[in-house]
Amino acid sequence: MDKGFTPRITALLCQWCSYTGADLAGTSRLQYPTSIIAMKVMCSSRVDPVLLLKAYLSGSGGVLLAGCHPGDCHYEVGNYHTRRRFAILKAIFDTLGLESARLKLSWISASEGPKFAQVANEYTDEIKKMGENPSKKKMFL
Amino acid sequence: MQGASLKVVDGIKSVVRDFLRKALESEAADAVLVPVRTPAKDSYAWILTNDQAVLDEAGPLAPTMPVQGAKALKSLTRKGQGTARVIAVMRPCEVRAAVELSKLNQVHLDNIILLSYDCTGAVPLQDYVGDPAGSEERFDSMLEARKTEESAVKPVCGICVDFSLVDSDIHLGLIGLAGESALLIPNSEKGAALLEAMGIACEEDTSGWMQAVSGLKAEREDKRSKALAETGASLQGFDGLHAAFADCVGCHNCQSACPICYCRQCYFDSEVARRDPAALLDTAIARGGIAFPGDRVMFHTGRMAHMSLSCVSCGQCSDACPVSIPVADIFSYMADLTQATFEYAAGRDDGEPLPLRQYREDEVEKVHEIVKGAEEEEVAHE
Repeated sequence: MDKGFTPRITALLCQWCSYTGADLAGTSRLQYPTSIIAMKVMCSSRVDPVLLLKAYLSGSGGVLLAGCHPGDCHYEVGNYHTRRRFAILKAIFDTLGLESARLKLSWISASEGPKFAQVANEYTDEIKKMGENPSKKKMFL
Repeated sequence: MQGASLKVVDGIKSVVRDFLRKALESEAADAVLVPVRTPAKDSYAWILTNDQAVLDEAGPLAPTMPVQGAKALKSLTRKGQGTARVIAVMRPCEVRAAVELSKLNQVHLDNIILLSYDCTGAVPLQDYVGDPAGSEERFDSMLEARKTEESAVKPVCGICVDFSLVDSDIHLGLIGLAGESALLIPNSEKGAALLEAMGIACEEDTSGWMQAVSGLKAEREDKRSKALAETGASLQGFDGLHAAFADCVGCHNCQSACPICYCRQCYFDSEVARRDPAALLDTAIARGGIAFPGDRVMFHTGRMAHMSLSCVSCGQCSDACPVSIPVADIFSYMADLTQATFEYAAGRDDGEPLPLRQYREDEVEKVHEIVKGAEEEEVAHE
């Protein structure tokens, strides 16, 4: 058993595409790491950037936000709005010298079980390389 | 662009008062919204009035800004435009905040005539309360000299680039003009109609004033980018953020003074934002300790994510801070950056949609750059 560092990745998945994609990965018996803590949201645009920030400041190794591909949103345009909101948060992170690499936006459709597994694996590896989230040890936040 | 030349005999404030008086007399407007010095003489309040006697007492250009004008306008028009035509005398930053709020459906500008002027800056509220008479004097001398004294005004006023004509209906041009003249410039159909109804002809050339304004603007832009870069340099990483907000007492005054923060229930004041007491000890053990009040960095950074796109750099947050954190400088720094991402400027134009209310399928370059990872995957997927 691998006793190395296993990050926790908060994954906010839109219920129409990415969460179903994650389901498909499971039912297809694809392997992806246990680091992914999946949460279902109605739409990726429902996620206030502050929730991503909260996950990050609470010590999540990574924060993954995933929704339908642009143009495929169940609500037609939700993910276009997600993209803009995410861009703002990422810009704020970069400007403040926080690790914006711990934030990830991904588009995964309901039929893309393998893509979900791939994103989960790759992102976990990436976070493993980055190590623990430093906010985990900060008393004064 | 043309304007009407006005003669300044008894100071700039009386020019504005005379104009308002005339507007009420000629029934071109039903009421005015102006700052009036409080009876205790140590502050200003927004007063809605059509009484000439009250108008005589009005600022109507106030040295300090206890309440952002856009907030007063919000109280007046939050349920719709109403039937009264009101002239609101506001600083350019207040006008810009009103424009932002109108985009957010919190203010209705249809029956409001925004009258702004070349602003020389606002005296910090604490300075004013500490020395009202001295502050009045300093402000008056700045106003008449039409020149900002940086030591007398809020830090963000010294680096303000939108001190002159913004998206108001009527503008009073002062900068670069001789001491006894001022220019009344219509800046919208509504403004032009009001001046016409009052029988004010606008035939004066404004190019001299415009030139002086753009000269000062260029100077300020340079100063602003330098000052804000300095602010930004100290804000790096957790340690920088913690140092910047180390004194924060968690009062959220910055949020309640902010004209843009209009939510009735702020997320950060809500129950869900409070940590679960049962989990606090676990967090403390994991982190080695936990500070109270907590989540200060989250509050400020989160507020940046929520409102920086509409931030007008008015500096009310700094005025409201009881421990003198330069909140306004920090937020202005962030606002300039996030607004540039979407090639947007808060309050610039009421026809310009809010960046988060619209999107482009093929996004502007900077957004692409920022969300690159997802877009690259997208290309690979295709």
